[in-house]
Amino acid sequence: MSGPVEIVASFADESGCAGSIEKLRTAKPIAVRVFSPIPSHHIEHAIGKRKSPVRAFVLTGGILGVISALALTIGTSWEWNLVVGGKPIVSWPPFIVIMFELMVLFGGISAVLGFLLNARVPAFEIDAGYSSRFSGDRFGVVVRCEEGDSTRFESILRDAGAEEVGREAA
Amino acid sequence: MSSEPQIVGTAIQGRTGQVPAVAGGAFKALLVVLVLLGIVGFGLGLASGQADRAWQAYLVNLLVWLGIAQGGVVLSAAFYLTQGRWLGTTQYRLAEAFVGFIPLGFILFWGLYFGRTLIFPWVLHPIPQKAAWLNTPFLFARDGLGLALMTVLSLALVRLSRGPQAAAWQRDSADIEMPPREMRRTAVALAILFAVVYSLIAFDLVMSLAPQWHSTLFGWYFFGGAFWSAIVATAVSAVVLRARLGAHNAFRNPTVLHDLGKLVFAFSIFWVYLVFSQYIVIWYGNIPVETFFIVHRVYHMPWEAISYAVVILMWVAPFLVLLGVRPKKSPAILGTIACGGLVGVWLERYLLVVPSLSPRAIPFGWVQLLVTLGFLGAFVLCSLPGLNLTAAAALAEPWEEHE
Repeated sequence: MSGPVEIVASFADESGCAGSIEKLRTAKPIAVRVFSPIPSHHIEHAIGKRKSPVRAFVLTGGILGVISALALTIGTSWEWNLVVGGKPIVSWPPFIVIMFELMVLFGGISAVLGFLLNARVPAFEIDAGYSSRFSGDRFGVVVRCEEGDSTRFESILRDAGAEEVGREAA
Repeated sequence: MSSEPQIVGTAIQGRTGQVPAVAGGAFKALLVVLVLLGIVGFGLGLASGQADRAWQAYLVNLLVWLGIAQGGVVLSAAFYLTQGRWLGTTQYRLAEAFVGFIPLGFILFWGLYFGRTLIFPWVLHPIPQKAAWLNTPFLFARDGLGLALMTVLSLALVRLSRGPQAAAWQRDSADIEMPPREMRRTAVALAILFAVVYSLIAFDLVMSLAPQWHSTLFGWYFFGGAFWSAIVATAVSAVVLRARLGAHNAFRNPTVLHDLGKLVFAFSIFWVYLVFSQYIVIWYGNIPVETFFIVHRVYHMPWEAISYAVVILMWVAPFLVLLGVRPKKSPAILGTIACGGLVGVWLERYLLVVPSLSPRAIPFGWVQLLVTLGFLGAFVLCSLPGLNLTAAAALAEPWEEHE
């Protein structure tokens, strides 16, 4: 019987977990999934995580906010002309305030949406290999690899200091 | 008392065998020449019928350089209040480096007494409704008292901060203890008094030059600008010291320039925020007695050009250029923006003072140039001891590559 299998390892400390990830990446399994009970720069660095795509959402939202504010303020001024104190119909200084506020509002909302989309939240199926310990005091590393390579990856995980190494039930 | 310099000194001697001086003899001689040029220029200005320009230049430069020196000590106080130890003792020595100019600035403030008839329009043409506030004895009494308090408190803070107890706290960033009790008290007192006294200075020495005009936020705007000018001055000093002190000094750490760049960026936005807050209120009200101050500076040449230059140097350029991480970490880019910021602050103070007094003057001439050079020389000369301490601290806490 062959095909991909998943190996689950648990670590008691952050640096051991990060160290195992660095070694695994050079050994090239099919995929590595990591569960961490705490946000960890160390592990993020080991995974080789790229800059967050949420940034693009915020930028787009902010620009959209400024454009919407311009449309709202200029549009309503043209629609209903109010001459105040001899100033032009479209007087931009107070519009800056609206532009700023809508930029913050749209930027903030798109940041939340971008986060939810990229984090795939809410999730109704729990990822394979998860154990409640990984929300408690243990770090989890799940390695997906070919059946034939499994002993090699198991020994890499043990050498990196894994407490337990086991197979995920297929 | 003055034991900290010796402690730092011995620490350096242990590492490199000598305490380096930031400036050589030739540079000091140049600074002395600048000071002499300033004195001669001021004297010639008075003698050649340009007394008004000489006194205006004197006031502008006093506001600029005293603002930087005082803002630096307030920056150090802000570090204590926020318990900032991202650069150990070096960040405190850096912010306090310009303290030497504060006593000189206090003395120079009294010089304004002799030019009062040329500086303050209300001395020769009193405004009856405002005479209770705008009169010579009261103005010099309250501003003199305020600046005396600031001088004493600033010197006290710097002396405590350079003392062994505070230095031990600055160094020990792993420890989450609060700063020493007397540091906390002095820092709070100084920060509050800075806001009060520099608002007073703004109202009395700048706003009263156009005695019909008023803006409640002006004081805040003025001391916010002074605080920012100190931040850009520390950024310039950090970039210069980084290059001068060799390969192993605290300023070689790119995160240090990043942090200074963030401060320059943030308080530049704060400054423009205060500009806009005043502008929009005056724009909405559209009352001639309020708008003339802005109309004269923004719509009439030559002041129009200076107004745009100030906004570009103090906000547009720092904002756009320092938006990213990499420009903040680059000494060349951060240094250029910070130097531009110093020029911007000088032009801004000039723009606040001179158009009120000489509405149609040609902006610059040799009198202004020489007086400015004189103040620059005096400021750097007064700051050299502080910069030497900064250099010693930066060498005592060198940046380790693997940190």
